[in-house]
Amino acid sequence: MSTVSPAKSAGALYWPVQMRRNIGVRSLFIVVLAFLVAYGVLFPGLFSASGFAKFTQSWFPLALVAMAQAILMLTGGISLAIGATVSLGAVIAATTMAGPLGVAGGAAAVALTGLGIGTATGFIVVRLRLPAIVVTLAGSFIIGGAALLVLPRPGGAIPAWLSDLLAGNTPAAFVLLVAIVLLWKLYLATPLGLSLYAAGENPVGAYRSGVPVDAARVAAYAISGLLSTGAGLFVAAQTGSGDPVIGTAFTLNSIAAAVLGGIGFLGGQGTMRGALAGSLLLSLMISVMFFLGFTPVAQYVAQGLIIIGAVAIPQFRKVQQ
Amino acid sequence: MTTAPLLAARGVSKSFFGNPVLRDVSIALQPGRVHALLGENGAGKSTLINLLSGALRPDGGAIEVEGRAVSRMTPALARQAGIAVVQQELSLTASLSIAENIGLGAYPRRLGLIDYTALAARARAACELVGLHEPLSTPVGHLSLGRRQMVEIAKALYRKPRVLILDEPTSSLSATETKILTDLLERLRGEGIAILYISHRLNEVMALCQHVTVLKDGICTADRSLAGTDAAGLVRLMVGRDPGDLFPQWQTSKSPADAISVRNFSAGLMRDVDLDVRTGEVLGIGGLVGQGQEDLLLGLYGAIPARTASASVNGVPGLPGGVPKANALGLAYVPADRKREGLHLIHPIITNMMLPAFARLPALKLRSRRAERETARGLAAQLGIKGDLARAAQALSGGNQQKVALAKWMPHDPLVLLLNDPTRGVDVETKREIYLMLRAFAAAGKAVVLLSSDTPELVHLCDRVAVVREGRIVATLERGALSEETIVSAAMGAEDRKVAA
Repeated sequence: MSTVSPAKSAGALYWPVQMRRNIGVRSLFIVVLAFLVAYGVLFPGLFSASGFAKFTQSWFPLALVAMAQAILMLTGGISLAIGATVSLGAVIAATTMAGPLGVAGGAAAVALTGLGIGTATGFIVVRLRLPAIVVTLAGSFIIGGAALLVLPRPGGAIPAWLSDLLAGNTPAAFVLLVAIVLLWKLYLATPLGLSLYAAGENPVGAYRSGVPVDAARVAAYAISGLLSTGAGLFVAAQTGSGDPVIGTAFTLNSIAAAVLGGIGFLGGQGTMRGALAGSLLLSLMISVMFFLGFTPVAQYVAQGLIIIGAVAIPQFRKVQQ
Repeated sequence: MTTAPLLAARGVSKSFFGNPVLRDVSIALQPGRVHALLGENGAGKSTLINLLSGALRPDGGAIEVEGRAVSRMTPALARQAGIAVVQQELSLTASLSIAENIGLGAYPRRLGLIDYTALAARARAACELVGLHEPLSTPVGHLSLGRRQMVEIAKALYRKPRVLILDEPTSSLSATETKILTDLLERLRGEGIAILYISHRLNEVMALCQHVTVLKDGICTADRSLAGTDAAGLVRLMVGRDPGDLFPQWQTSKSPADAISVRNFSAGLMRDVDLDVRTGEVLGIGGLVGQGQEDLLLGLYGAIPARTASASVNGVPGLPGGVPKANALGLAYVPADRKREGLHLIHPIITNMMLPAFARLPALKLRSRRAERETARGLAAQLGIKGDLARAAQALSGGNQQKVALAKWMPHDPLVLLLNDPTRGVDVETKREIYLMLRAFAAAGKAVVLLSSDTPELVHLCDRVAVVREGRIVATLERGALSEETIVSAAMGAEDRKVAA
């Protein structure tokens, strides 16, 4: 009885659903755009090929850890071990890629480590019903210790060609980010992926509806671990070597980016596009303050104030309604 | 009927922490019949639904699907058997769209991905049935409560159920939506679906259902055809029971002086309430759960923001602006949820008893342990609290915990006691002690405001009962007019029919 073709009626649901998800982050997109324009005016180098490459490379690892944190926060969890996992990814890449495993083997080791750490954390948090914040805090000591065991002091090496490919004068970082975002859209189009939202916001209702709540949450931890070690690999490629504490700042920055992007702490609130925009905003803020000559201490203070403001503004709006 | 029921419970029992909630209850859901399940608050209706849908397992008895006993009913098995439940608390996710919510847990797939084409078609069909015309991509968070309820019903229909259980589906629906739902249920019944319908709106039950099961304190008191009964008859089935000698002899001690008097009082769900609480009386607050009664107490106590045209509390004009001010005016509040609000469970009984006293001490004054011990021992003797006072409060039984929650206010000699369901989950013996205590307070010239979900308690203990429905006091029943029937009728809005009958 339907006169619309199947393909068209699919578009009639899928795309409107996607557009609706933009509503909450529209104002954030405008702020990010304004910052981008300001940045472009202050530093016209952004619009050259090398300027664009450098800019996306400085943003890329933050974007990955913001996604890693956001996917956990959507399920109602959180991770304080992201920085340590980034470090571990970096030292594994730096110790394996120049050795007998080669680049492919090293990349596989980095990926498997991330998936393994994430799955183990997920099992402990979800199956044993322990608080994520405690488990991942303890995990950050274990994982950070493991990174120091693998490489006690900065060293190791990344093959020069890989560093040039990822962190040289190429748009590789941007291409990779686009690919990762597309993979995320694909994941969110699977029943397990979309269950993230239900499992985070209303776990009892989701369970009663037949959603595999535990599986969805463990999968989120696994993906989060993979994104974190992936960010570590990229950071190692940027510096050309491994550093066992290089990721430390990413833990709090990942939370900051997710919160700026409108991800709620209670689970099920927010969107990945918001978290990515939040990470871009944070990255822009850090760059702008750096170029304007803020001291690192002033940068931290300003960053903290902006994040509190970002959380407070939607809250005020809600109270006024 | 000769056909096997699609879903049945045979002699099921269930207890929580030694408290029996259901005792030997049977119910059989036949195809093509709308079966009403009635009972007061706490009669065991929700527990029975949870047993039927596999969310809980019975302690005794069996759940049968099409005449075959199922040894371990689980939610997954229930879904496979075509049992769909529309719960009172919604199972929706606000950030997902209507269609994504309707299909949740049972998405059509293609190549491992959600098939949005098929989902749109099937969700649209389910929405048509319940009259939901909003775009399927609308996030559920943007819908009103009534529309969400319709999404919840559509979600159940999407699964093509053979047994449909609806737990108070109309409590948040408009008249139009209710009409759509009743027409729909009528049609589904014609298609041979078995429907279990729980509602407090008796006129709906009379119009829609063919058969009724009535629960009273976890026991099935009626399982009969609805033909030949009226609303008043149903109310009698729900409350009919002998109160026994649980209650103390009632004697009036009411004086004409007002302890609390408010006009046009609004707080939380409550709107434009006029209320006078007199010294020396027990004023009951009745009504179905969640009609705003708790907000009335909290508003008077200054614990939530309240507005009023005029008010006086113990002779002082205006409402207390906060809990410390309310305490200073002689108000004390005992919450219903003693585990979360009334007590600090992991702390010793004596600390719990002294907590209001701490609030009155100068902040840096040293505590006198000896004086505290003496006061606590006196209180324990006065209220009959058994056990070592140095133990954690969680070691006490529910009844004794409630006594501690009451005892902590006694040293301050409150003039008005605001009690929120003080006998919920309390054993019979302690109930009796609490009743005696409340009458004694009233006799001593204090005012007691007793919010209760237990109707007999209101009838036998109170001087007057204010019945709350949908945020308003719909009736104030004087002692002479108090009966379980009048209270339940007023609470359910059935009084018009009763007068006519």
